[in-house]
Amino acid sequence: MNAPITLMSHLIAGFPDGETSIAIADALVKGGASILEIQLAFSDPSADGPAIQTASTVALEKGYSTKQGLEIVKKIHDMHPDIPIYIMTYGSLAFTPGVENFVKMCKDAGVSACIIPDLPFDNDEGLTAACAKYGMENIPVAAPSMTQARLEEMASKGFKYIYAALRAGTTGSQTVIDQATLDFLDTVGKGGAKVLGGFGIRTGEQSKVLCKHVHAVVAGSVFVNIMLEDPKNIAGVEAKARELSGL
Amino acid sequence: MADLEESEANDLKPEDLNMAKSLVESDNGFFDKFGGKYVAEIIRRPLDDLEEAFNKYIKDPEFLEELRIIQRDYIGRETPLYYAPTATELLGGAQIYIKLEGLANTGAHKINNAIGQCLLAKKMGKTRIIAETGAGQHGLATAAACAKLGLECVVYMGEVDVRRQQPNVATMELYGAKVVPVTSGSRTLKDAVNEAMRDWATNFATTHYVLGSALGPAPFPDIVRTFQSIIGEEVKRQAAERNIDIAAIVACVGGGSNSIGVFTSFIENPNVRLIGAEAGGVGPKLGENAARMVGNAAKVGIVQGYKSKFLVDDDGQSQPTRSISAGLDYMGIGPQLAALGECGRVEFTSILDKEALEAVNFFAKNEGILFALESSHAGAAAMKIAKEFPKDKAIIINMSGRGDKDIFITSPVFRPEKWKEFLAAELKRLENNEDIHDAEIMNK
Repeated sequence: MNAPITLMSHLIAGFPDGETSIAIADALVKGGASILEIQLAFSDPSADGPAIQTASTVALEKGYSTKQGLEIVKKIHDMHPDIPIYIMTYGSLAFTPGVENFVKMCKDAGVSACIIPDLPFDNDEGLTAACAKYGMENIPVAAPSMTQARLEEMASKGFKYIYAALRAGTTGSQTVIDQATLDFLDTVGKGGAKVLGGFGIRTGEQSKVLCKHVHAVVAGSVFVNIMLEDPKNIAGVEAKARELSGL
Repeated sequence: MADLEESEANDLKPEDLNMAKSLVESDNGFFDKFGGKYVAEIIRRPLDDLEEAFNKYIKDPEFLEELRIIQRDYIGRETPLYYAPTATELLGGAQIYIKLEGLANTGAHKINNAIGQCLLAKKMGKTRIIAETGAGQHGLATAAACAKLGLECVVYMGEVDVRRQQPNVATMELYGAKVVPVTSGSRTLKDAVNEAMRDWATNFATTHYVLGSALGPAPFPDIVRTFQSIIGEEVKRQAAERNIDIAAIVACVGGGSNSIGVFTSFIENPNVRLIGAEAGGVGPKLGENAARMVGNAAKVGIVQGYKSKFLVDDDGQSQPTRSISAGLDYMGIGPQLAALGECGRVEFTSILDKEALEAVNFFAKNEGILFALESSHAGAAAMKIAKEFPKDKAIIINMSGRGDKDIFITSPVFRPEKWKEFLAAELKRLENNEDIHDAEIMNK
């Protein structure tokens, strides 16, 4: 099933519950997602908005911390062995058990990359090295507010992928990607990294505009919001994925 | 839980003292292994900009003079170093002195940092200020500083804290601040920090985040300590003027801003014991207290932008804390204090809720001084150790704040029936829209 747009879609392991999160992953893949970004819930997700914080709290209340979350990941990986799974979480969950132990646990669950935004690329507590040791990637997150110098430094470090957290670029009903954003994406990809880009993508139209400039379009809270509204609406998740991937 | 007796640090080894001396300020954001700037790139730029501005203005004579005048005329510095004769006699050991930070305008030491940062923000061209608050004292101080300096102010406060510190909420609103109750997570201080971080990531072009404690990502621990160290500088000067021979300084430690503020001038002086009092809550088990340095519940971790000791579980999820004092009810400790604790320079003890309440009562009755529940943890620690020292030595208690704000917590403990009657009568009066002069008189 080759979707026209490479879509990296996000879910939280254990939200709204274990079984449903597996069904969500399934729906996302059916809807054309090429990559799954699976978040391990953390108690203090300060780089996320309120929707993901709320969903994380639900997952934690149901007992889905690292070990239980990775069991979900393993099941998803077994169902869809060809779909790469990237783990997104926070430094505390990687650092507390030991970064290398954490990476190994991820590897054993079938994960192929880690996205940990609060372990900065120039002080990552050994995350990049541990990922390399286990044949995985560390994917740093770039932001448009970074200085040009810092952005170039990140871009030149030889990362295979860089996640670009773009500024919202919609005006009215038209989605426009302004020159500043294009320049930003250029710099991020300068060292050869493939760029995963997202900015709160909600519609197929936005996805279509963005996909021309990135390796993969990232969509996250749009799916979480569908499930927050109605935790049974798996069909809604699949339909949204289909819209965003152009399948 | 370990007591002070078990963690004596009087015989500090020379290498530990040298280590402590290297911890007076950060080395590129780190205090030994603690500290750092563990943040998503989205929040990196405002931190770097802040660091640059701080380093510039803290050397600018004009800025420093403006700050000095505000400290003198608005905050009311210097605050007194009060000799407590009755407490000294009753405790039967060292002379007891109390640094009355509670007499600073807005009732606590928090104003030292709030004014400093708000003035800095103004120099940086920011027009909007956000802050997190636990007990409400930092929010209050920031709200007042913003009112004074003409800045817009938004204060994030956990829903639980809004409830237990309602007088401070009311006062913040009087100062014109918008208080936003935080309903996520455990609805206390740490969740307010998360919310403030989110706001800052979106609005940093116009907004400065006044972090209230000596923690969080660099450069906050250095900035907050710098603005708070005026407390210790004054104590040092006041003690020298009056020939007070200081043997120990005791301060409560939540995040650690008042303690690092009073300790800093003495870190390099091995003759002065530095003692931090943590919240022992209702017991020693995880979840029953907020003790990070005492006992072995806390782990080295990375949470909310910095590496320090945190109450987290084996996975790294933050754990609930418990204390009668909202200002000490926090899972992490400032990285500088964690480092000073690890090398033995700062000793830690923990004080139970009931001991803190006893200390409030003791100093109120015997000295006419009303400690905040946070600061009374320091008072209680001093009461425990006073006897260990000879009469010609002094213990300094940093009363970081005064206890007016706690009346809704202390009154139900000390006079429950009268308080219940008062609240019921007051509610009835408000519901009936009666003037106080016409209302039914209680206990007639």
